Amino acid sequence: MGLIELAAAKALASSAVFLFITLLMMASAKRISTCIVLFSVQSAIMAAEILAVAYAGKSVESYAVAALVIVVKVVAIPYLLFRIVRNLKASQDVASSTTGAQSVFIMAALILLSFFAVAPYAKTLRLDEDLLAAAIALLLAGAFLMVSRKKALMQVMGLLVLENGILLAALTTTFGMPLVIEIGIFFDLLMGVFLMGLFVFRIRDTFEHLDVSKLRRLRG
Amino acid sequence: MNLAIDVIQALMLIAIAPLVRGVIARIKARIQNRRGASVLRPYADLLKLFRKQDLVPDTASGLFRLAPVILFAVTATAAVFVPVLHASALFGVGGDFILLVYLLAFGRFFLMLGAMDGGSSFGGMGASREALVSALAEAPLLLALTSVAILTHTISLSGIVLATVQQYPLHLSAVYVFALGAMVLVAIAETGRIPVDNPATHLELTMLHEAMVLEYSGPSLALIEWASAVKLTLILALLVGVFAPWGMATGASIVGLVLASGAFALKFAVSAIAIAVIESSIAKLRMYLVPDFLGMASALAILAVAFTALMR
Amino acid sequence: MTLVLLLLIPFLAALTVLTCKQSRRAVRVAMSAGALEVAAIANAVWRVRSAGVLQVGRYLRADGLTAFFLLNVGVILALVLVYSIGYLRHIPAGRFSSPRWFYSLTFLFVFTIMAVYLSANLGMLWICVESTTLASALLVGFYNTKGAVEAGWKYLVVCTVGIAFALFGTIALYLAAVKSGVNPESALDWAALMNAAPNLGATRDLIKLSFVFVAVGYGTKIGFVPMHSWLPDAHAEAPTPISAMLSAVLLNCAMYALLRFDTITSHAIGSGFSHTLLLIFGGLSVTVAALLMVVQRDLKRLLAYSSIEHMGIIAIGVGLGGPLGLFGALLHTFNHSVAKALMFFTAGNVRESFGTLRMKRIHGMARSLPWTSAGLVVGSLAIVGMPPFGLFISEFMILTAAFSGSRYLIAILLMVSLSVVFGALLHHFQRMLAGKRADVPSKLKLVPTDFAVMSVCTALLVMFGVRIPDAFAYLLQRALVVLQ
Repeated sequence: MGLIELAAAKALASSAVFLFITLLMMASAKRISTCIVLFSVQSAIMAAEILAVAYAGKSVESYAVAALVIVVKVVAIPYLLFRIVRNLKASQDVASSTTGAQSVFIMAALILLSFFAVAPYAKTLRLDEDLLAAAIALLLAGAFLMVSRKKALMQVMGLLVLENGILLAALTTTFGMPLVIEIGIFFDLLMGVFLMGLFVFRIRDTFEHLDVSKLRRLRG
Repeated sequence: MNLAIDVIQALMLIAIAPLVRGVIARIKARIQNRRGASVLRPYADLLKLFRKQDLVPDTASGLFRLAPVILFAVTATAAVFVPVLHASALFGVGGDFILLVYLLAFGRFFLMLGAMDGGSSFGGMGASREALVSALAEAPLLLALTSVAILTHTISLSGIVLATVQQYPLHLSAVYVFALGAMVLVAIAETGRIPVDNPATHLELTMLHEAMVLEYSGPSLALIEWASAVKLTLILALLVGVFAPWGMATGASIVGLVLASGAFALKFAVSAIAIAVIESSIAKLRMYLVPDFLGMASALAILAVAFTALMR
Repeated sequence: MTLVLLLLIPFLAALTVLTCKQSRRAVRVAMSAGALEVAAIANAVWRVRSAGVLQVGRYLRADGLTAFFLLNVGVILALVLVYSIGYLRHIPAGRFSSPRWFYSLTFLFVFTIMAVYLSANLGMLWICVESTTLASALLVGFYNTKGAVEAGWKYLVVCTVGIAFALFGTIALYLAAVKSGVNPESALDWAALMNAAPNLGATRDLIKLSFVFVAVGYGTKIGFVPMHSWLPDAHAEAPTPISAMLSAVLLNCAMYALLRFDTITSHAIGSGFSHTLLLIFGGLSVTVAALLMVVQRDLKRLLAYSSIEHMGIIAIGVGLGGPLGLFGALLHTFNHSVAKALMFFTAGNVRESFGTLRMKRIHGMARSLPWTSAGLVVGSLAIVGMPPFGLFISEFMILTAAFSGSRYLIAILLMVSLSVVFGALLHHFQRMLAGKRADVPSKLKLVPTDFAVMSVCTALLVMFGVRIPDAFAYLLQRALVVLQ
């Protein structure tokens, strides 16, 4: 057992904890740019994890997926979002409908919930319980961010976190999907973020604000 | 030999407390492009205050003079329970971390009484704010320490420290991470640092601790200042001891002790720099956001306790 | 080649149309590309009909079910493109800035829809369904008004989130397949999965989990009730040809994806679980949509809720299962798309003539817009399931399936909802149609293409109401073979 194997095993074992930390920090973050950085860090943790899996399984496809994650989620999407934030010239506040403490409390509850949710499956499928729980927690956290933050960009953020959860779920349960599918998913994600960015500008231009909770012309 | 080390480390904690303050102030000054005062300045301040006359307001009772003495005595007693150089303390008994928390609370209680006894409106205001902060900070502090205690299957601080020293350093437990997060937030509130309180302010809208001690002067003030310095050092030592005790001596050899002292100095230097950087880079929270801040600490502490059951 | 052409034509058309600066040329290019695509679809359907299954490479595949839905797309695409000629002419230039972008995005939309139907792999299927959202979001927000931007945003976000759940479900299914010993490389291929389906029973919980997530995910796109919030907005704010496309093609497209998963789940763990879930979603959609139709104030929103209701009926048909239920459900998808296309076309005419879709402000339609009114009446009679129109047959089949399976609760729910819908449409439309010849702001002159699409729709509806053509029935049977 060489040093790299050891490091890889450690990275896998404790990456769930790091993911939880990014989630809790995201819950307490008050500025959109903080959230973008946190998302980038979160994706970097996932990339490290995929690299560890790739190393352990000696799979070329996993290396490719890790490269994709780094290019798309660690660099491209945060860069795109930062550009949007800069060009919007709007306030950076995430406009949360819950206070910081409430957000952290809810996030903590979601993390615990995810542990209970995966317990039966982790046992029967012999999977890493922590990572699977982290995947579910990311999913729930993404949904929570989407409903509790009023800024349009934070909804995109929530969606991205949710998508990270799905990626992690795929990774921990199946060691990743076939490469073609992964590439397609990443392409869709990138286009989706691009389009949402486009819509964010349109929302600003037509409504002169970015608070999606005030978008309520269409009801009933 | 062990007894000697126990005594030395407790005395050391009390003795170097003003130095820690001085170092933090000096680093802050450097970050802000000032030259700053000497790191020994707090000692000079204390000396000066001890030599001055103690002024007592006409309205005050005997409690006013008594409070600082009790505060200092209690804080110094608390220092006896913290392992610093090796993984045990003079009065290391089962459940001592609970005692520690309440000793600190006891001291603060007398300080609040003294502040109100002083009769000025600032004293009352500061006391009420302090009461709010301490009420909110106590639960997460206790919970965080409890979670670590559960994780290490022990009920004493020295047991916690010993278990942490002996475990595999790369092994990162979620419990430690969350408990550390909660403790850091609590420590900031407890020791009255930015963003909860600003130790350098005398602006009535923002001050907490300073409002309470506004009426004090002379030796009483010196005792209070020294006690609060000891508290800062003590909580730092607690953080370092519980979460990063590596380098502590496990046996009673001279080499081990020297190494432990070196490690201790290094870790304190790092924490001092961290505090200085944080204090220079973020703004103080508005008073009504402080409960929110401590709420986060509570959430983290609860998570830490819950994780003792989930992750091992 | 047949299948590749189906994808190639709309893709190239999307690019070519963009180069046409003149709007008249853009329309001409779009029409010819559309004609080519429809011809290619007809060819593909014919080939599949004779060959059974067409497969190109690993990722393109067409079987009976595909052919049936392709036929649906072909018919609606032809109608929509022809209708759009008149639509572009009616609309003042200011509102509709750029026909070439409109057509380009439309063809991109068609491209993604084709990709959904042709994908041989469930992961691919997910990617394509997500792309339909991306391709159509800009079309929904095309007018750039406040309402349109809001609807586009909501559509994009709600559907993307919903679809993300479907991805989760897909992964769960993949996991189940891999755990049951299917080769990981092909564990999402339809053919491999169908072969392995009987062995998947060992991972029962996982399959159930997968289907729940897929039902919620694709159900969002179909517009099942708790997840339907995007649907009325998108349908109401999109340009009318696109509203028709959304309702008559896109919803079916998502339904198709769900049908594929339902089939696998039924094969793996028996049909009880998935069909019950579909019945719940269907029943909920039918009831809630019917009740909400009563209180609608906007014509296109009314039609959108009607789409939700009909998707519910289709889900009930599938959920009841059996040859009759499935046959009725598939037939209903086709009938509903024709009827709903017709109704959206008339709604578009109403919008351009009255300048509003608020039903309160529309009076005397019967006198001022006789032909459009006739179309609206035919459409609404068809949509509530009156004989002699096609929907009567399919709804009757589904009801029969319910009664013969002793599912009285569902049958009663369906009948009550249908009568509520009937009342709602009667209530809304008699106010719009009746009354004095209202002061119509701009007199709308229908062009021949408008008449053409409306009469083709009517003819189709009547034809399917009187007798299902043999060729079509054969195609339907082939589709049923895939599902059973």
